[in-house]
Amino acid sequence: MTDHVSPTEQLVQRFLDQELSADERIQFIVALGRDQMLRERVLEMERLVLDASRLARPAVPDGFVAQVMARTAHAEGGRSATREGGAWSRLIEGLWAPRALQWNLASAAAIACLALIAIGGSVTQALRWREASAAASTASATVAATPPVVLVRLVVVQPGARVVQAAGDFNGWNPSNTPLEQTADGAWTVTLPLEPGRYEYQFVVDGEQWIGDPFATEQNDDGFGSRNAVLDVRPPETI
Amino acid sequence: MLVSRHARSVLSLTTRMLGATDAEDVAQETFVSAYKALPRFQFSAKFSTWLYRIAVNKCHDVLRARRPGMISLDSTDGEDVVASIATDDETPYHELEQLELGWQLDKGIQALPPLYRESFVLKHVEGLGYEEMSEILGTSRDTLKMRVYKARTLLCRSLAHLEAARR
Repeated sequence: MTDHVSPTEQLVQRFLDQELSADERIQFIVALGRDQMLRERVLEMERLVLDASRLARPAVPDGFVAQVMARTAHAEGGRSATREGGAWSRLIEGLWAPRALQWNLASAAAIACLALIAIGGSVTQALRWREASAAASTASATVAATPPVVLVRLVVVQPGARVVQAAGDFNGWNPSNTPLEQTADGAWTVTLPLEPGRYEYQFVVDGEQWIGDPFATEQNDDGFGSRNAVLDVRPPETI
Repeated sequence: MLVSRHARSVLSLTTRMLGATDAEDVAQETFVSAYKALPRFQFSAKFSTWLYRIAVNKCHDVLRARRPGMISLDSTDGEDVVASIATDDETPYHELEQLELGWQLDKGIQALPPLYRESFVLKHVEGLGYEEMSEILGTSRDTLKMRVYKARTLLCRSLAHLEAARR
């Protein structure tokens, strides 16, 4: 605030920004009690702030997403000659691609499927991963009576990391239980067999840095100032 | 997907910054630019903050194009327009309802000088804190507080007739 603003006005603005200390708040309330003009001014401002927070957000028009994708595809064509190839680019594209969790049920007996959860831009993306499906279908014969298992692949992009682990509800929040393997271009990955349910997790980089997921569709406060990504593992659809 | 997840926020910002005519196109352009720049995105940053920054820059481009060579975005020209909104409107105050209040408030926001407008919208419509706003707009917290203060004051003045009708 500059010197053009009177001390009282500064107090009003700081009150609206919820920046008053406990002592200042008491002083402010006392001042409000004594000064009707001030009271009206604060009420007016408070209503403005409340009304602004209640303004309706415009609805997203039909076809908006499709148009963005079309324009993106067009832009992509224009830069294809200059962009770098490799897994990194494919991963970036994966982050952008429509979320479409598809169950890979290549085998009639298969109870497992694969969802690729790309973290560090995590997007649940469908992949046809026949190797995983085949492996899972082999296991299915012995677990037919048990809850279905879904293979979930976690991916995080951490090019500079030495070690990356995952910690979450699926491993008792013990990072050492779930190390990720490094792939090309700085991506780290692990595949987990999970029963359907909701799991919260974070990644641990170099044993000390716990990181959330800026792209997770759902996140929860972890109570320590960070955000846990929420993974919703759904049961395979009927074969 | 990312676009549908963030479309409403971006569209809300562009609509309030530019009005409905350009808002959708600029919102789409924001996502296309974000896509192109995605390889440069720092994963330590919050994605929505980064997206807002792109959207704000797109809005600046449009606002500059609308008023070529006439006015900088820093200008506070427009304060008189905001203040005159009340006198432009002949609607009987006692008939004003909540929807109309929203419409009037939107109208007042649209009439704010651009830098006050974006600060007010991010702070009070989108509900962001000054820290994140500072990241998005590349402007100090103190400056942003001053802009929000000015915006509140102007809007209160322009909507005074509505306030009177509420009493």
